[in-house]
Formats: sequence, structure tokens, C-alpha cells
Amino acid sequence: MALLVDKHRPRSLEALSYHHDLSERLKSLAQSGDFPHLLVYGPSGAGKKTRIVATLKELYGPGVEKIKIDSRVFQTTSSRKLEFNIVASVYHLEITPSDVGNYDRVVVQDLLKEVAQTQQVDQSARQRFKVVVINEADHLTRDAQAALRRTMEKYSPNLRLILLANSTANIIAPIRSRTLLVRVAAPTEAEICQVLRTVGVKEGWSEAEGLNKRIARESGRNLRRALLMFEAVHAQNEQVTDKTSIPPPDWEALIGQVADEIMAEHTPQRILQVRAKLYDLLSHCIPPTTILKTLTFKLILKIDDALKADVIRWSAFYEHRIRMGSKHIFHLEAFVAKFMRVLESYLMGMDF
Amino acid sequence: MRLQAKAAKAKGRGKRKVVSDSEEEAQVVMPKKSTPKKPNSKKPIKRESPNGEVTTTTDYFASTGKSRPSRSTPTKPKAPSEKKITASTTKNTPAKSTPKPKATPTSRASSRRKAKANYTEPQDDEDDEDDTAFVDKGDDSADDIFAADFKNSRQTKEDKYNKEDDSEEEVAKPKRKGVRAGKPSPLVDQEDQVSAADEDVTMKDTNPDDDFVVPDAKEEIQVNKSINGVKARDRGNTRKRKSADSEVHDEEKDEEEEDFDPPAKKPKSIKPKSPAKPPPAKKPRTSAHKDDVPESREVQEIFDSIPLVRPPTPPAAAAGEPKKFDYRNTGSRSQPAPAAGSKEIPIGAENCLAGLTFVFTGLLDALGRDEGQALIKRYGGKVTGAPSTKTSYVVLGNDAGPKKLETIAKHNIKTINEDGLFELIRRLPANGGDSKAAEKFAEKQQQEAQKVKDMAAEMEKEERRTGGAGGAGGGNAIGARASNGDSASSGKIDNRLWTVKYAPTAPSMMCGNKGQIEKLQTWLRAWPSNAKTHFKKAGKDGSGVFRAVMIHGPPGIGKTTAAHLIAKLEGYDIVESNASDTRSKKLVETGLKGVLDTTSLLGYFAGDGKKVDADKKKLVLIMDEVDGMSAGDRGGVGALAAVCKKTSVPMILICNERKLPKMKPFDYNTYDLPFRKPTTEQVRARMSTICFREGLRMPPNVLDALIEGSRADIRQIINMISTAKLDQETMDFDQGKQMSKAWEKHVILKPWDIVSKILGGGMFAQSSNSTLNDKIELYFNDHEFSSLMLQENYLKTSPTLAASYSGKERALKLLELSDKAAESISDGDLVDRMIHGSQQQWSLMPTHAVFSFVRPASFVAGSQAGHGPTNFTSWLGNNSKQGKLMRFIKEIQGHMRLRASGDRHEIRQQYLPLLWYKLIGELEKQGKDSVKDMIKLMDSYFLTKEDYDAIMELGVGPMDMENVKIDSATKAAFTRLYNQKSHPLPFMKASNVLAPKKASKERPDLEEAIDASDEGEEVVADAANEDEEENLDLKKDKYVRAPPKKAAPKKKAPSKAKGKAKEDLEDELDEDESEEDVKPKKGKGSGRGKATPAAGRGRGRK
Repeated sequence: MALLVDKHRPRSLEALSYHHDLSERLKSLAQSGDFPHLLVYGPSGAGKKTRIVATLKELYGPGVEKIKIDSRVFQTTSSRKLEFNIVASVYHLEITPSDVGNYDRVVVQDLLKEVAQTQQVDQSARQRFKVVVINEADHLTRDAQAALRRTMEKYSPNLRLILLANSTANIIAPIRSRTLLVRVAAPTEAEICQVLRTVGVKEGWSEAEGLNKRIARESGRNLRRALLMFEAVHAQNEQVTDKTSIPPPDWEALIGQVADEIMAEHTPQRILQVRAKLYDLLSHCIPPTTILKTLTFKLILKIDDALKADVIRWSAFYEHRIRMGSKHIFHLEAFVAKFMRVLESYLMGMDF
Repeated sequence: MRLQAKAAKAKGRGKRKVVSDSEEEAQVVMPKKSTPKKPNSKKPIKRESPNGEVTTTTDYFASTGKSRPSRSTPTKPKAPSEKKITASTTKNTPAKSTPKPKATPTSRASSRRKAKANYTEPQDDEDDEDDTAFVDKGDDSADDIFAADFKNSRQTKEDKYNKEDDSEEEVAKPKRKGVRAGKPSPLVDQEDQVSAADEDVTMKDTNPDDDFVVPDAKEEIQVNKSINGVKARDRGNTRKRKSADSEVHDEEKDEEEEDFDPPAKKPKSIKPKSPAKPPPAKKPRTSAHKDDVPESREVQEIFDSIPLVRPPTPPAAAAGEPKKFDYRNTGSRSQPAPAAGSKEIPIGAENCLAGLTFVFTGLLDALGRDEGQALIKRYGGKVTGAPSTKTSYVVLGNDAGPKKLETIAKHNIKTINEDGLFELIRRLPANGGDSKAAEKFAEKQQQEAQKVKDMAAEMEKEERRTGGAGGAGGGNAIGARASNGDSASSGKIDNRLWTVKYAPTAPSMMCGNKGQIEKLQTWLRAWPSNAKTHFKKAGKDGSGVFRAVMIHGPPGIGKTTAAHLIAKLEGYDIVESNASDTRSKKLVETGLKGVLDTTSLLGYFAGDGKKVDADKKKLVLIMDEVDGMSAGDRGGVGALAAVCKKTSVPMILICNERKLPKMKPFDYNTYDLPFRKPTTEQVRARMSTICFREGLRMPPNVLDALIEGSRADIRQIINMISTAKLDQETMDFDQGKQMSKAWEKHVILKPWDIVSKILGGGMFAQSSNSTLNDKIELYFNDHEFSSLMLQENYLKTSPTLAASYSGKERALKLLELSDKAAESISDGDLVDRMIHGSQQQWSLMPTHAVFSFVRPASFVAGSQAGHGPTNFTSWLGNNSKQGKLMRFIKEIQGHMRLRASGDRHEIRQQYLPLLWYKLIGELEKQGKDSVKDMIKLMDSYFLTKEDYDAIMELGVGPMDMENVKIDSATKAAFTRLYNQKSHPLPFMKASNVLAPKKASKERPDLEEAIDASDEGEEVVADAANEDEEENLDLKKDKYVRAPPKKAAPKKKAPSKAKGKAKEDLEDELDEDESEEDVKPKKGKGSGRGKATPAAGRGRGRK
């Protein structure tokens, strides 16, 4: 009894319900026998992974769906042991190097070489090469990416890489130039509604068109999120109508509280209270940029139009800082302080 | 008067000299040069009063002629002149004086000034004339009679100092004089009576003022050379005492009077100068007193408006006249008017705050806290941390601590602000005038000075006794000194270090730790008898069972000295070993062998012509610097500890750090004697003795500064003094501070102290003179924590910069400051990244210090009162919590990976809320009913029970773990049900592999082996065939099954077979399979259930 998202995940390229042209292209690529390195990018919840799995199935047949998790131990140069999980079928490997943080280079070097230096064992396999899927490729360090670039050329007879990323911004140009860039756009709201409807029908749930539309909007065109929200709504309500409220995820609810607190009082003491909540969010693994973004958009709704540009500017400023710095709370707090000051000074119509 | 003075000088130089010497000596002991003047001034008054009692004015004049000479020494003339002025207006001729006082205080002042002018001239003349010979004699007279001419130069210097001081005093005095004039009369009467009653003996005992005391002592030593002078002095002294008494009475009488009293006392102190004046003085004083009364009433009203229980002290009286005294009512804590700009810090009379106790609270406008404290200490006042009934004044600043305010209100302590403090300093006469506090203080100081003299004399004796034989090499100077008794001798021609030279020669001379030294002595004394009983009897203090003693404590407090001293006193011959000897195990064992069983040769031989003393054959082994046994002394500590257990001579071990792990072998083997830092008082007495003997002028407050600065490291203080002695004869407060700062042992501040220091506001106050470098230095006290601590606490202040705003503007200003600080901290983090990130730009540390520490603090620095305690940084805790939860997430994501495609962020943000709802929310709402569905869901995602707990912990806000209330029955049901069933595992973690391996060795059961091998084959087959049904480990069985797998099959198919679980992702298959799988699992589970008992049996058999 898995969740809907995974239960109704399409298994083949044909079953994909949107971006049909992209599906077509992938299919022809898979059948061409000259499969290039891919760099698949797009926002989360757009269907990248699903498409890749479908493409792999297209490449190798159903055998690729028999996957297992393999646990490997790598040793870094400082003889530290890293435990690393690999999802693998006989035809492909799926790795997430960013799991090991700064040591991803070790993994990339050792693992890829090992894989690349051996040929496909299964003589009956349709392709002579194996595929390595690298998740979160945009989180690879520069070192790891550099280690990757030569491997891609040198071992191309045995190895194809599929890189998955949310954006290509963090991927160095040499790699971009060695891969075929495949953009998977987020589904439109209509497409999401359609998916929701099909799923609803499959589950035998009563349909509420308006609710679906709202979910589609709320989800930010993230299909995974939409499906999860859809399920959450249905799980928490026996009967859903167009008016049924969509429960926000826990962290979003907390950020909403933070926004309310910030609006209610502008004092250093309040910043302290907000800091506690921000710490709570951060320590519960909500990424700081997500916090900042969500918070900004919650605040934007509550302030005067004249201020919005300024607030957005500062938000962007501190988001950049978050990326540049290492102690995220400092920047989040600085944003809160800045916001309070800007707002207060606007309300009082004066500045120092 | 002048004539008389001159005449006196001319006549009885010897006498004068004596007196003057005494005074000067007293000065040496006393805080500063200026003090002598004060004493002088006091003395004349006293004399006057006695005269008044006994004789008429004419007699008095005559007597003055006699008495004066003694005081008329160059230094005195100046002081006397001033005093004379005051006295003269009031005292000299009753008739004259009376009119003036009536005229009003201002008129008096003017007259005084004139008088002063006159005086100064004569003084100068005298100085010029006398210059070398006369002055010299006067100053050092006691010593000098014998002493060489060289002193002259010194004396002249002193004179100059005195002059300067006088001038200062003059500036300060005028105000007082008026007050004094009015007050003294009643006091004088009392004094007179008392003085009449008192005799020389009493004088000695009582000597209220240090200055006076010292002279008395000297006089005694000198065998009353000048009877007349002595008598006069005696009277003065007694009077002083009485004056103190009288003061008390006065206080009782009237608050007003009390106000006046202090001045009255001052005149008493002036006694010596103008003996003739006293009788008239009384009358004028009374008159003046009357005149003043109205003023005092006004003052009184001011005071009345302030709820003070205690009557005001001299400063208060002074406050009456002029303008500024801003007494801050405790009730009205309203912020003192923020004095913009830095105020000029007044220069007051020497020791003018003597005997007063101050407490600072809040942030002063112009003074930093430290500066304020230094200022008060410089003038002889005492600063304490918290107000109490003994506090004379609370100096109130902005944002005073509420706690302190409470106490102030409770005890009705007088509060003043900065201006008040400055006023106090400006107006109070030297040595705190006649206030009760000052009197007490003076008394104490006198006693101390007396002690110093006694000690010096003792030392002198000692030296003569011992040094008479050996150290005759000093030449003339030494000889002179010796003959003089206690002369302030310049450095002896003595090549010993001062620390050796002034090493204590009797236990009584040790500073502090008396109890420990006593214990050491009793232990050593009892040692031979203990040895006879084989250390079986513990004795009174339990020291009897120890053959060795361990003295430990910080450096420079006399551990080694004590050990040597006691050993010497107990007649032991000392064998010492310290860090300069190699003390490895071998050497300790062999080297000590020669010592431990032997006796001293001194028991058998003696030097030329000395008797052989059989008692001298006792040996004691002193092992110094035991903790200094380093890597080179391998095994030395252990060997030494072993020796301690069986030694046949007493051993004294000395170390600094007893608690070091390497000192552990000594536990229970040695008798521990912890030495503590002596208190300031304990050290001060000894140090002043040394200063006194070396002729170095070192006022007590300077000494205190040195002692505090060096943390009571006696050795360091002596070294400092001896260094100072090289190029100066005196050391004033600032020099002392400077020196102790330069010699300061670097103390690393704790993070809390760092942050409260930088945020406290003192460092950024306008008046603060701490530089940017000082602030950066502060950061480097703990560069890892200071920025974090600042970040944690920077919002918990009331910034000084926002102090001038109020209402909404203040709110905005506060936000602005917070924002700037936060932005700066944010900047600092970027720098931090460059330092600790891949770039490793460590040279940016100072930049980081500025951005993350100094600059933010510069915005928000201010009082931290009312914002709760300084917290430890919460970043570390939150960071590690984040690390932990991130591990959970990774784990969960790893388990879900076969099903869900999201990365860990997506899992956390999108899956978790729903999973939480479906697992925890449902369980909370529906109780046991939901357990089945829960377990199904968990199994479908390969989530374990640990993951369930992790999900619970990962909730935030509305899903916070704290808010989850699942009753324990439900929880128990869930746990039971969950444990009953078997659950799929996505894979075996490598870490899980190891533990079972061991288990397998324990119980290689046949049945199991078969069972396992079957499975193993399956696994291998799986690995080979790549697809088959998923192998789902049953959790329960994991431990039973796993070992064989790992043992056999895993090695065969290491990488692939390791992770067993394979999943079919096809929808239809999936469902079917999972159902099928579940069944097989259960089957297996039950099968296993059988197997486990078998295992149990297997074990049982074994």
C-alpha cells in the first residue's frame, strides 16, 4: 500500500501523460543504439526520474526494473571510511554522490572507473554499455565534476551517464558540452489536474474539480507534491468538496507562523523569538533557501506594494549570502532584521 | 607665623629633622607624596588644639615656636602654609579670625588665598636656602643624622613633589576651608580635653593617621630626641583619636553637624603646622560654624529631599556650597541627563576617597567602568561589586542593574552620578578629610604602617644578626643604614636577588597559607616518631601515615620557600632536586638510593670552630617542580611515587598542578597540602615592608594594583618592585598599573566574559580608550566561540546608541542597529567561509574578527541588564541536531529509495508530512485500529521502527514531537504488533553485517546452517539470475539468518549479494508479488520461529 505517487507511477514512456514530444525523442534515442550522455534537468516534481526509468526500460527491457540497494564502503585519502548506497540493476547503477558531501569525488572516481572498466556481463543485453544515473548532479562539487569529465570520454564504450539536476547552473561547462541536455519542464496545472483525475478515478475517490485545481496551483506545478497533497486531503477528509482546505506541510505551517510573528511586532526581542523558530526549521532539515523563499512569499502578501520590490531585493541578497556562507541562520536572521527595519521605517515614514 | 616657623627651623633642626623624617617616612609608606602634606596640615591643627587647652594664645605661640621647628622642614612649610592660611583665618588671632568667618566663607577663602601666597614665598625662600642640607636633614632626619649626603638630592625631589602636591591641594582645598572653619570648634573642644588626658603612650597606640603613626614609631626608636615636639605630636595624635570619637558624637547630634564634622576633622589633622593658631581657631570655628549653619541647612534640605538614612559626608557638605551635586535618588532612577561629550576627569587630592566604598552600576556617560574603578582606586577609594550597607556611594549610570537598584533602595544607600563622583574627587581633602570613613581608613593604614615598620625593624635586626657576620661588604651606606635602624636605604650593594634577599626567615613572615605551613611543620616534626611506628598511626591531622608531602599551588606563592624554611627550622639538611635535574625512572631509582638511607654529614662535621651538632644529621629531600617531569623523565613520576611509599627520609614534593593525570600516581601516597593565593592584604604588608626598606615609595593603592595585576604572585611583585627601583624612587598609581599590565600574565577569557565585555558597552563608550586592536584581541581570546557567542547575544542589549531616542523613534533605531549588526554578522560568515572553507585563508582572521565580532558589537553595545543571562551559543546544538536529523532523513530516503524517486529534500518536504499524518497522526487519532494500515504502509516503503521514530522526531511546528500525544497503550500495541510481524528490509547495511558475524561463531547450529545455506543459495541465485522474487529479510530473523549469509554466500557474491532486496517495480507484479512475498515471509518467519528455538537449544547444549 504505497502512497499514490509511487503506486501510480508510469513505468514506460508510453504511459507518460504529458510532454509527449519529449517522450518520443527519448524513445527514439533509446532505440537508436547510439545513446548519448544525458543531462536531464528540470524542476523537482516534473518527472525527470520517471522518464529516465522509463527510458532505461526502453533501453534494456524489464530487467532494469529489478533493482536492489547495494552498500559500498569507500576509503578516502585520509583513510576515512565512507558508506555509500548504490541502487543497481544488472544494467545500470544509480548513485547520489552528494550523499557523502565533500567526498563525492572519491566515489565518482572509484566507482565510475570500476564500472567503466568492466564490460557488460550479460551477453544477451540489448546494449553493450552500462548506464550510471547520477542524482543531484548539480550538487556535485567542482572536483567531482572535473573527475567526471574525462571519464565520460575515455570510457564511453562501456559507460553512459545520465545526470539528473534541477538546474544546469552548477554544472561546469565541459560537462554540459559532453552531454545531451534534456529539459523536463514542470507540468502545467491542467496536466496536473488531469493526472489527479486519473488517479482519483483509479482509487475510486469522489472527484472535486475545484479542489484539484487548487491543489495544482498550490503545488507550484510539482506533480509529486500535487499527488501527495491530493492524497493528504483525501486521507484527512472522508468527503472532499471544492472548498476542502488543503493542509499545508508542517514546515510551511511553521514558516507561516514566523511570518505572522514578524508582521505582528518589530523588535529585537521578536527577532530572538523568530530565531528560535528558524533554528527549529533548519535543524529539521528544511533547506535555508526554501525557508527564505517561503518566508518571503508569505511576507509579500502582507505588506504594501511599495515595499515589495525592496523586500524581494533583500531576500535575493540574503539568499545569495546563504549560498556563499556556511552558517545559514545568520543570513536568515539578517533578512528578518532587515525586513523589520524596512517595514518599520516605511510605516513610520522616516529613516535614519 | 612664618617668622616663627623660620625661627623654629633655624633653631631646632635636629628635632625638626626627626619630625620631618618621620613624616616623610610615613609618606613613603603611605600612598603618595601629597599625603605627607595632609598629615602636616592635620598636625598643626592638633597642636593648636592642645595649646588651646593648656595654654593661652601667647603660650601657644611660644610653644609653636618650639614645636614648629620640627615640622618646619621644607616640605612642611608648604603644606603648613596652606593650612596656616586656613588655620590662620580661623585660628591665629581669635579676634582676627572671628571677623573673617563672620564675613562669610568667600571672604575666608580670599583671605586664605592671600595667606597662601605669603606662605608660598617664604617656603620657596626656605627651600632655596635650606635646599640640600636643610631639606635633606629634615626629610630623612631619623636615618639621615647618620646617613650620607646623597639623600639630599632625593629629598629635594621630594620637596618638589610636595610643592606640586601642595599646589594641587590648594586648588582643591579652598572649598573645604570654608567648611572646616565653621565646623571644628566643637570637635576641638573635645579633642582638647582628650588630648590633655592623653599621654605619649596613648599617642603611640592610637596614632590615627598613618603619617602620624609613622613619626611616632620613629620617635620612639629615636628615643624621644625632641621631647617638646614629641609631646606636641602626641597630643595631636590623641586628638585625632578623639576627633574620631567626637565625630561619632557629632553625627549623633546633627546631620548638619556631621556635614561639618569632616572639615573639623581636617583641621585636626592639620595640627602640627601652626601650633599657635589653635586656640583662636576654636572660636572662629564656632562662629564660622554658626555662619555656615544656614548653608548647611540648605544643603540639608537638598539631602532631605533625598531619602538618605545616613548623614552626608564631607563631600555632601561641599556640595552645599556650589552647584553640581546631582544626587540621584534611588527612587527616581530616571536616566541621568546624558552628559554629552566626555567630561574632564578631575584631579583630586591624594587619597581623597580614602575609606569610602563605591559601587558602580549602569553605564556612565563619560567614564568606562574600568576607568571609573581605576579612578576611585587611584584616590584611595574601594570599589566593590555589589552594593551593601557598607557602601558609601553608588555611582549610578544609565540602565543601572535592577538588582543593584533594589539593594540600594533597601539599604538606602547614597547614590551619585558621575558628576557627583567628580565633585567628590575635586572637593574632598587629601586622605579623605575627617570623615568617619577616612578616619577609620587612616587608622587602619596607620596600623598597617606600624606593622610595616615593625616588620622592617625585625628584618633589620635579623639582617644585622645574620648579615653582621657575612655581609659587611655594603660599604658606608650599609653601615649607615644598619646603625640607623630602619633607614629607607637605596639598593644595598648586594648582589642577591630581592626574592632571595627578602625571602622569609620565619613562618610568620610568610604571606598566607599559614595553616598549611603549620601542617607542614607538624608533619615534619612528627616524622621521626612516625618513622618509628612505621607510619601506622595517622595522628591528629591524618598526616602521620605519609612519608611524603605534596605541596601544590600556583607559582610565586611561596611553596618552595615554605618547604625550605620549614626544613631549616626543623633542623633538616636539605637535598633538593628540581626540573634542572634529569629525573627519569632509572635516575630516580639509582640517584635517590644514595639519599634515602643516609644521614647528613653535618651531624658529624662542622665548620671552623663550630660544634658538631648531632641533630643536624637529619636529611629532607625536596623534590621541586614535580609536574615538570617531562617526556625526558620517562617513568620518573611512577618511580618517584614508588619511592614515596618507602622512603626513609622525609620527602617534600612540590608542583603547580596536582590534578594533572600524570600526577595520579601520587594519589594516596602523599599528604596533600594545597597552597592558595594569598590575599591582597596578606601580600601588601610584606611588600610595603620591602618597599620601605628599599626606600621605594609605593602607596598602598599602587601596591594593590600590582598585586591584583600579578594575581598575588609574590615573586613577580618583588621582581617588579626591584625593577622599578632601578630607575625611580616612587611609583604612582598609573605607573603601577602600567607595570602590572606590562607584566601581566596573559589570561584567556572565557567566551561568556568575552561577549559580556564587548557587548557591555564599556569598550565602545566615548570615553573608552580601547583601540580596535584591543577589541580584535578580545576576539582572539577564543576565536572559535567569540563570534558565535556574540551572535547569540547581540540582541540582548539596550544599545547605547539608541539611548537618546524614545518611543517609536527608539523602536526604529533599535531595529536599525539590530539590522546593521545582523548584516555585519552575515558579512562575517562570508569571511568565515573563506577561512574555514576550501580556501583556508587564515590570514583573514582579523577581518573575521571585525565583521563578526567588533562591528556588530559596535552597533548594539550597551547594558545587558534586563535581557536575561548571557547564553551559550545555540548554533552548535542546533547544528549537531541538524546533523543528526539529516542522518535520519538520509536513512529514510535510503530505505524509500526503491519506491520513491525524490532526493532527501523532497522526501523531507513532501513525503514526510503525509507519512507523518498517515503514521503518527492516524495513530494519535484512531489508536490501535490504525496499526495494521500503518505497518503495511511502512513495509511498502521499507521503513523500520527506527524510521518511524525518526519521522516522529522530524516533525516541526504543528507536527512537533512535543505535541504528539499517543497514549502508551496504543504505542505498546503498535510495538507489539510490529515486532510480531516480519518486515522487509531494502538491504543489509554494512554496519549491520559485523555484529551477526560474531554471533555466528558463537552458535554454529546445524539446523541453522542448513537453513541459512538454503537461503544463501537463493541469494547467490538471485545475484546470478538477476531477477527473481525479492528477498525480504524478516527483521526478526535478521540476526539469526544473517550470519550464515554473511559467512558463506556473501563472500561468494560480495557486492551484489550483499544487498539482498530486489524489487520489482512493475505495478501489477508489484502488488501481486508483495502479497506473495508477505506470505512467504511469514512462512519463513514461522519457520524461523522454529529455527530460533533450535538455536536456543544449540546454545544450551554448548
